Amino acid sequence: MAEREQNQAKTGEPLDNQPIPPIEIDAASPLPHSSPHTLQEPHLRFVDNRLQAEAKERESMVKPIPTGGRRAEIEITAPQPRPLGSTGGPAYKVDIGSLPHTPFFGAKSHVLKEFDDLNLSSHRGSSAPTPPRAVTGIGGKVDKPDYSQAKIVVAMVGLPARGKSYLSNKLTRYLRWLEYDVKVFNVGQLRRQKARDKAESSGVKEDHNAAFFSYSNEDAVKARESFAEESLEMLIKWLKDGGNVAIHDATNSTQARRAKIEKRVSKEPSLYLIFLESLCDDPAVIASNIALKVRSGDPDYDGMSREVAERDFRKRIEAYEAVYQTVTEPHLSYLKIINVGQQVTVCRIHGYLQSRIAFYLMNQHLKPRSIFFSRHGESQFNVEGKIGGDAPLSIRGAAYAAALPDLITKNIGDAPLTVWTSTLQRTIQTAAQLPYPKLTWKSLDELDAGVCDGMTYEEIEERYPEDFANRDDDKYNYRYRGGESYRDVVVRLEPVIVELERQENILVIGHQAIIRCLYAYFHNLPQDDLPYIKIPLHTVIKLTPKAYGCDEERYALPIQAVDTHRPKPGSKVESPVVIPNTARDYYGEKA
Amino acid sequence: MAAPLYTTASGRLWHAGKILIITVGLPARGKTHISRALERYLRWLGVKTQVFSLGDYRRKMLGGAQQLPPDYFTLGEKSPDTEALRKKVRDGCEQQILNFFQVKRGQVAIYDANNGTVESRQQVGEKFEANDVHVIFLESMCDDPDIVDANIRSVKISSPDYKSWDPEKAVADYWRRIKDHEIHYQPVEETNWPYIRIINVGEIIKVNHISGYLQSRIIFFLMNIHNKYRTIYFARSGQSLVEHSYKADSDLSPAGWDYAEKLKNFVLERRKKVMEERKKLGIVVDENKKLVVWTSTRRRAYHTAWPFVELGYRVVEKPQMGEINPGVWDGLSPDLAQEMYPDEWERFLKDPYAHRAPRAESYHDLSGKSCSSNPRHSFSHLMVHFTLVRLEPTLVELEREQDDLLIIGHASVIRCLLAYLIGLPANEVPAVEIARGDLVEVVPASYGVHSQTFQFWRPVEGAAHSHSNFYENYAEDTAGKRKDAQIEIEVLVNDELPEDIDEAYTHIDP
Repeated sequence: MAEREQNQAKTGEPLDNQPIPPIEIDAASPLPHSSPHTLQEPHLRFVDNRLQAEAKERESMVKPIPTGGRRAEIEITAPQPRPLGSTGGPAYKVDIGSLPHTPFFGAKSHVLKEFDDLNLSSHRGSSAPTPPRAVTGIGGKVDKPDYSQAKIVVAMVGLPARGKSYLSNKLTRYLRWLEYDVKVFNVGQLRRQKARDKAESSGVKEDHNAAFFSYSNEDAVKARESFAEESLEMLIKWLKDGGNVAIHDATNSTQARRAKIEKRVSKEPSLYLIFLESLCDDPAVIASNIALKVRSGDPDYDGMSREVAERDFRKRIEAYEAVYQTVTEPHLSYLKIINVGQQVTVCRIHGYLQSRIAFYLMNQHLKPRSIFFSRHGESQFNVEGKIGGDAPLSIRGAAYAAALPDLITKNIGDAPLTVWTSTLQRTIQTAAQLPYPKLTWKSLDELDAGVCDGMTYEEIEERYPEDFANRDDDKYNYRYRGGESYRDVVVRLEPVIVELERQENILVIGHQAIIRCLYAYFHNLPQDDLPYIKIPLHTVIKLTPKAYGCDEERYALPIQAVDTHRPKPGSKVESPVVIPNTARDYYGEKA
Repeated sequence: MAAPLYTTASGRLWHAGKILIITVGLPARGKTHISRALERYLRWLGVKTQVFSLGDYRRKMLGGAQQLPPDYFTLGEKSPDTEALRKKVRDGCEQQILNFFQVKRGQVAIYDANNGTVESRQQVGEKFEANDVHVIFLESMCDDPDIVDANIRSVKISSPDYKSWDPEKAVADYWRRIKDHEIHYQPVEETNWPYIRIINVGEIIKVNHISGYLQSRIIFFLMNIHNKYRTIYFARSGQSLVEHSYKADSDLSPAGWDYAEKLKNFVLERRKKVMEERKKLGIVVDENKKLVVWTSTRRRAYHTAWPFVELGYRVVEKPQMGEINPGVWDGLSPDLAQEMYPDEWERFLKDPYAHRAPRAESYHDLSGKSCSSNPRHSFSHLMVHFTLVRLEPTLVELEREQDDLLIIGHASVIRCLLAYLIGLPANEVPAVEIARGDLVEVVPASYGVHSQTFQFWRPVEGAAHSHSNFYENYAEDTAGKRKDAQIEIEVLVNDELPEDIDEAYTHIDP
C-alpha cells in the first residue's frame, strides 16, 4: 500500500489510472509442521483500493479453504463406491501421499467464486476500449477454429488396385477427426449409381466389364469422361458451399485429363489443387488389392465367378496401363507415393493443411497389425467418483494389471508389441507387469479438468449447476477453466495418431477421454458422439485396420470395476452405437 | 547442456539408434544452411546432434588452402602423396564422427561434405552401417540458376578467397568452380539407401525408404523450412488478475487491458517503420504482407491479442502454447510453495529447466523430449519416458509461416521458442530474458537470426520487479530474470559465414 501511495505522490497521477495489482495472497500464516492433519489456511486479503470497501465486507466472509492434505499414510476403510453401480471393495490401505492436493483456486474452494464475484468486469479502471466480458465459473464453450479459408481439391492419380480409395478413405478419416469438412467424390461410385438407377428405371443393365474401360471403346470413353466431369462439378460446388477438402477419386491417369482438371479448378480463385498419385510395382500388394476387389462384392462383377471377375479386372487394369502417364508435370502440386510410403515425392506443396496432408500420407504402411486400447485399471479416484488427479490403482485395478499380461500375450503370441502409457501413475502401474517395451507419453495424459480436477461430478453439479449442464450441451467444445476441452485433447493427440500410423502392434494404456479420441479416429465417429463413447474399465479393445475400416474385438476381464460412463442427459441411447464396417462403399451411401 | 530430465541406459532418446546424415550436393546449394538448421532443431528437441564439416576439419588439421599441395583440389589424377593426404583428412574426420557416436554417445551426426559420387557415398555409408549407424543421404539439388546465383552472391563472395575482388568477377569465378564439379557430380539415385533429396529449396522433396520416428520428424521439419524474408515478434501477455494460478485462468487486470492496447499500437507502428526503412534501402517490400497473431488458449494471452481481433487481424489460439502448469504449486505464493514443498522447491531452484514438481510440467516438457525410468515409479522393465514435445508442432508451424507473426505468450513458451530461434543450448532456456513490456523482434537470416528488443510498456515502478513479487507466476519467473526494468537493445547476429568458405574444395572424389 505504502508503495502505491508513494507512486501517487511521485507522479501526481490519480490513483485510478495506475495499474493495480488486484489480489494479494497472504502467506504470512505459516503452516504448522507438527500436525500434518490440521492445516491452517492462508486467506485472501484484497488490496485493491477501489474494491476495498467491498472487499472488507467479503473478507469477513472468506472461510478457511482446504488446500489439500499432507503426505501421510492413513487407513481408509471401505470407501464408498459411486452410486453408478458396482460393489464396494474390502477395507484396504491407500497411500494418500500420492493423491493430489486440492488446488487453491480449484472449483471446490470458495476462493474461485469470491474472486469471480469481485471481478465481473476486470476492465474497470482501464482506458482501453471495451473488451469482452470477463468469464467466470468453471469453464465454457469454445468456438471451432476458423477453417473457412481451407479449400483444397485432392485429385487422385493411379491405376486401379493401387490403393487410391484406401488412401482417400484414410485421409478423409484423419481430416474429419481434425474437424475439417471432407468429402470423397468417387467417379466409380457415380458411374455405378447411374447404372443402377438406369437398370431400375429402364430395366437395361449396362455391362461394365473390361471392354467398357478400353480406350478404343469411344462411347464408353466419352461416358466415363462425362462422369469424371460431372463428379468434378459436384465437387467444386460442394467446396464453394462450405466444404474444406474434396477428394476427386478417379484414375486421372493421363496428362490431358489432369490438365483439364487443372484448367477447371484454376477458374475458382480460392481453390488449391493437389494431385495425389499412388504408384505400386509390388506384385504382392497389387495381387492382394485385386483379390480384395473381386471378393468384396463389387457390383461390376455381380454374378461372375471370382476367376472370371479377376481376369476381367486385370484386363481393365491393362486398358488403363496402356495410356497411363505418371505425374511429372513440373508446374503441378503433387504428392507421389510409391509402394505405400517406400518412396515419396512431394512437389510444390505449400500451405499448412497441404503439408499436414502430405506428412500424414507419408507415414502410412500396409503391414497387418493390431492396435489395442485399454484404460488403466480402476483407480482410487474412480472408486471415489473423482475426476482427474494422479491416484494409484485400487485393489481391483491392481488385479486388472496383474491379469492383463496373460490376456495380451495369449492374444498376440510371439509378435512384437510396444506398450504406450501416459505419465500418470495409474497407467504406468497398469502396464507394469506387461513383458513388452514401454513408452510413456505426456500427450496421453487424461483431459485436464482444470479447476474441477479432483472433484466428483456431484460436487461440481452442486457448486456450479449451470456450468455443469452447459457442458452436456456441447461436451466436445466445452473447455474446463484452467483445463482442456476435447478439441484441445485431439490437437495434442494428433502427433500420437501419426505415430500410431507408423507403428505396428501397439497397446495404448490410457484414460477415458484419451481412448475416446483415439477410438473415434479409427472408427470415423463424429465430434458430437465422441465424448459419449463407452470405454469401460477392465476391457481391452482390439482394432485391426483393414482396407476400408477397422475390425473390432473387445475382451472384458471378469474383474469388477465402477462404471465411469455418463450418458448424455436426455439422450435415449447410452452411448453412440459403433458398427465396425470394413466393407467398401460402392455407391457412396456411407456417411 | 544440462542433463535432461530422463535418459535411457544408452544415453540416447527414443531408442531411435544412431543416425548419420550425409549431405550431398554441389557447392552453393545450401548444404551448410540445411545442416545447421537441422542441428538447431534436433538439439532443441534434446537430441545430441553435431555437424561435422569436412572443410572445417581439413582447415584445422592442415591450415588454409595455401598450405595444401597444389593438386589437392584439382580434378582427375593426383599425386600419391596428395591422395594419401586427402584420405588421411577424410579418415580423420570420419573417426571424429565415430567417436561422437561411440565415446560421446551422440545420436545424430551430420556429415557436411560434397559426397558427390555414388562410389564415395557407398564407401562412407558402408563404413558407418558396419558400426551400427543408420545412414541417410541428404541431397540439396538446384537446377534453377537464379537460386544458385543468389546463394553465391549472399554467402560465397564474402569469403576471404575473394577479398578485394570485383563482385561480378568473383561470382563468375565461383560459377566456373561449380562447373568443374558438375562434371563429376552424380545425383542421389541409389534406391538401396535411404535418402532425402531437396530440390530447389524445398520445391520438390523426394524421400526414399525413410522409417523411424526421428527420421520422420526430420522430414517434416525439412518440408517446412523456407528462406523467405519475414519477421517474428514476441511479447508476453498482459498482467492478469491472479498471476500465479494456472487453474484460475484469470482475465487481464485493468493494467493488462492497457498493456494490450499499447502492444497493438507499438507493433503496428514498428511494422510501418521497418517497411519504410526497407523501401528507402531500395528493397522490394510486400505492402500487403499479413500479420498473424498466435496466442495460447489461456484467457490472459488471448485477451492481450483482443485489440488485434477487433481490428480484424487473424488471431489463432494454440492449445500447445499454454504456460507451464505448476502442478501442486498452483495458486500458492512462492513462499507458501517453498514452505509446503521444501524439497521440491530446493530441487526446482537447482535446475529450473529440468525439475518437475508433482503433476507439473518442466521446461523439458515444453521443448525437450526425453526418456527413462521415472524414479517415482518402480518397474521391472526399462521404462522409456517418452514425453512428446508440446511445443514441437508449434515450432514446425513457426518455421512454415511466411506471413509476419506476433506471438503473444507466456514467458516460459516465449523462452523456449526464442531459444530455438537463437540457437541457445537447453540449459540456458530459463534464462532467456523477456520481461513484460518487451517486444522482441526476430528476423531469420542465412546462418542465424537478427534480433532486437524494444520496450513498449513499463511496469509500475517497484511493483513488478520488487523482491517480494507475488504477481509473477513463479513457474514463469525463473533464473535469469533481470532485476531492474532497464532495457538494452541487444542484437544477436550470427550471420557470418561459418568456417566452410572453401567447402567447394574440400572434397572431389578421385
